[in-house]
Amino acid sequence: MPDLDAIRTEARRLLEEGLVEVVVAFKAGDTPLHPQPAFFRSADEVDELVYDGLCQNNLATYLTRLPKQAKVGMVVRGCENRSVNALVVERQKAREDLYLVGVPCEGILDWQTIVAEVGEAITSVTETGHDLMIETSAGYQLLERHNFLHDSCKRCIHPNPTSAEILIGDPIAEGDPSLPRSAVESFEARSIDERYAWFQKEAERCIRCYACRQACPMCYCEECFVDHIEPRWTESGATPAGMQGWHIVRAFHQTGRCTSCGACERACPMDIKMTYLTEKLNHDMREKYNFEAGLDAQSQPPFAAVTLDDKNRFKI
Amino acid sequence: MNLILEKQTLQDLLQFWRQDYDVYLPQKLERFSHFMPLTDNCEPVNNEPHNTRIPPKALFLPMTEALVKFTRYGGYEDAKHEIQSRVVFAVRPCDAQAVQLLDTSFIQEEYTDPLWQEKREKTITIGLGCHKTCPTGFCTTVGCGPFNKAGLDAILTDLGADYLVETLTEKGSSLFLTLPEAQEQMVTMAEVIQQKAFNQMPVAFETEYLKEKLEQNFDSEYWDNVSQSCLGCGVCTFLCPTCFCFDIVDETQRRERVRNWDSCMFRTYSLEASGHNPRPSRVERTRQRISHKYVYWLDQINQIGCTGCGRCVRYCPVGLDIRAMLRQAQTLPFEVSHAV
Amino acid sequence: MPEKPKIVLFQCRWCLYAPADQEWVDSQLPENIHLTKTPCTGRINPLYLLNAVQGGADGVMISGCLPEQCHFKTGNIAARRQLDEFNDFLDYVGYDKQRVRFVWLDLQDRGIIQKQLAAFERELEALGPVSNLATRAKVAEGGQNA
Repeated sequence: MPDLDAIRTEARRLLEEGLVEVVVAFKAGDTPLHPQPAFFRSADEVDELVYDGLCQNNLATYLTRLPKQAKVGMVVRGCENRSVNALVVERQKAREDLYLVGVPCEGILDWQTIVAEVGEAITSVTETGHDLMIETSAGYQLLERHNFLHDSCKRCIHPNPTSAEILIGDPIAEGDPSLPRSAVESFEARSIDERYAWFQKEAERCIRCYACRQACPMCYCEECFVDHIEPRWTESGATPAGMQGWHIVRAFHQTGRCTSCGACERACPMDIKMTYLTEKLNHDMREKYNFEAGLDAQSQPPFAAVTLDDKNRFKI
Repeated sequence: MNLILEKQTLQDLLQFWRQDYDVYLPQKLERFSHFMPLTDNCEPVNNEPHNTRIPPKALFLPMTEALVKFTRYGGYEDAKHEIQSRVVFAVRPCDAQAVQLLDTSFIQEEYTDPLWQEKREKTITIGLGCHKTCPTGFCTTVGCGPFNKAGLDAILTDLGADYLVETLTEKGSSLFLTLPEAQEQMVTMAEVIQQKAFNQMPVAFETEYLKEKLEQNFDSEYWDNVSQSCLGCGVCTFLCPTCFCFDIVDETQRRERVRNWDSCMFRTYSLEASGHNPRPSRVERTRQRISHKYVYWLDQINQIGCTGCGRCVRYCPVGLDIRAMLRQAQTLPFEVSHAV
Repeated sequence: MPEKPKIVLFQCRWCLYAPADQEWVDSQLPENIHLTKTPCTGRINPLYLLNAVQGGADGVMISGCLPEQCHFKTGNIAARRQLDEFNDFLDYVGYDKQRVRFVWLDLQDRGIIQKQLAAFERELEALGPVSNLATRAKVAEGGQNA
C-alpha cells in the first residue's frame, strides 16, 4: 500500500517550493471504482490526492498534452516511469523539467473483476495491505488483492520506478521475466490458423473509438496513421480489414517503445485483448536486440539505432 | 392491452418470432452483453439492470455502412442493403427514447435518411423496463425513466415468474396475439413496481436553468476544469445512444463510399481543409459535447439530448462523470432571460 | 488450372544494376506479379506490406541492395530491422512467415531477380492460396461488422 501521506507531503513540498507548476496524480472519482487523473496546482489542492490500485491510467500520457516547457511533477509507478523515460528519449520532454515521485507498484486492479465478484452496489473500496475491503449495500466483503489484478500487472517485470527523484515506500521484488516470455511462447505454440482465429475474434469487437491510442503515453502523434487520407492505407471503419489493420499497426508502432503498462487494454470499452500483440514485440526486442523500453532515458530503441554493423544480423 | 407472458415460455415465443423476423436481443459477449441475432440456442434474457455496452442505435445506424459503390472509371450505383424485418427485444427505455430522439435528426420534412428510415419501419421494438436501479443511470433526471414508453411498441415489466406485457402499438400487439389478458391484480402489481423503480432513481443533478448556465458561461474556466483529464477518445460518444455523428469516407481501394461513426471528441472531427481547427483542444471539444446534449438539443427540439443511460460514466477510461460536471455547472453564474 | 499465386514485389530502384534486369521487371513482369518501386527499401512502410496482405497477396517480395551498397547508406538495414520484425509479427497474427521474402541483390548480380521470383512462386504454390488477413471486401457485399 503506498504511503498516501508521504505522497501528499512531497506533492505539497514541490508546489510550495515552486519546483514544479503542476503535480499530476489522482483524485477520488465521482464513483467508488474510478479515481480520476488530477492536476494539482497549489498545495492546498493536494488534500484531494488519492493513490491506490484502482488508479488505472498511465499518467505519462499527459506529458505530451501539457505545455512542453512546463515544469511538471508526476507520481509514477514502474511502468509510468519507463514511459516517461521513453518520452524523454524521444525528446517529448526534457528530463530537467520533470520531477518524478516514485511509488513501487503492487499491481493495478481490474475494477470489472471486482464488480463481477461482488456485484454492482459497491459504495467504497479500501485497500489494507494485501486485501481489499469492499463495502456494498449489503455489508462488507474482504477480497485478496492479487486475485483482482489486471492481466498486464500479473506479468510485470519492473514494478519499481528506476529514475524517480524520490521513492515513496520500499522497492518491491522484481517480477519473473519468464512470465511475459511464456505468455508469448504459448501463443506462438498455437497453429497459425488458431492464432489468426484468436486475432480475428478479438479485433472484430473493435469500434474504432481509439481509447487505446489516447490512453497510451507513446501515442502522441498529432496526425495518426489512420488520419492519413491521401493515400488511405488503413480502412476507416469497423470492417475486418480496418479493425485488424488498426490493431496490427498501432501495436507495431510501439515496437521498442511500449513499457507493457496495459493502459490500452484497460481503456477499451469492448474488452479487447491487445497486450498479447505488444508483448510479442517487446519480447522480440528483448530477444533480438537485448532492449527494453524506458530502462533509462538515453538508449535509442532498435528501429532508431540502425548501424552498418547490422549487416551480418540478417540472412541474405 | 395488458397481457401476461410466462417467463418459461419466453424462449419459445422468441423462436416463434424467428419464423417471420430476425430477432435481436442482448446476449453475452466477453464480460458484457451485446445485441446479437438470436440463433437456435439462446441464453436466458438478462433481467439485471445492466445495459449492453453498445446501444441498439447500432441496429439503425451501423458503425460502418456502405452508401455508394463505384467503378474505377467513373460509374457508380447506390449500395444495396437487404434489410430483413426484425424484432429488437429487451431494449431498455433509455435506449428506446434515444432512438426516437434520433428520428428527429434522420427523419425530417426537408430530408429523410432512407437507410435509417427503412430500418426503423422494418423494426418492432420491445422494451424491458428496469425494476432495479442501474449503477450509473440517471434517466429520471433527464426526462426519461425506468418504465418510460417512448420509442417502444410494447414494454415488459418483470413480475417474478411472469412478465406483464403492455402493448403500445399495432406492431407491438401483432407479436403477442396468443397471450392471455392480464388480471387486474397483475396490472396493479406492475404499476407498483414501476412507480417504485421511478422513485428509487436518484436525482443526479438539477436541470432548472442548467441550459442558461452552460450557454452563458462559454468562456468560463469551468470548461478547462472539467476537461483536464479527458483523453479525447470516442468511448462516450460511441457508447452514447443519442450520439449520431458520422463521417463519410471514400474508400478508394474498395471502391466504396461509406459512412462511419464519428466523434466530436476527435481532433479531426472539426479539422478544416485549410488546417484551421475551430475546436483545437479538449477544452473546446468537451464544451461542445456537453453543450450539444444539454443546450443545443433543447434549442432545436426542446428536449434534452440525453436519456441518462449512464454508459459514458461507467466506461470513461479516466472516470469522468457528466453528472458531477453538471452539478458543478449548476454553481455557475447566470441571468434569467427576459426575452419574449 | 489453379490460379498463379499473387505476388507483390517491392523493389528499390537501385538494386537492379543491369539494364536488362530492370527492363524485364518494368515491362515483362508476369501478370500475377504486381510491382511497386521505391527510392530505397528503407522507404517501405510496413503499411504497404499490410496493404498487400489485406488485398490478398499470396506472397510479398522485397528486393533491395546488399549492406554497404545502399545508395542511402543504411536504408536497407533500417528496412530489414523493421520489415523483418513486421514479418515475424504478421506470422504471429496468422500470415505465414514464408510468404514474405527478402532479396538483397549485389550490384554484380545478373538475372537473379527472375530466378528469385520463379523460386518464390513455386514455394507459394506449395503453401497454397492465402486466406488469413486477406480481408479487404466491400461493406455492401458482406464485409461489414455491425
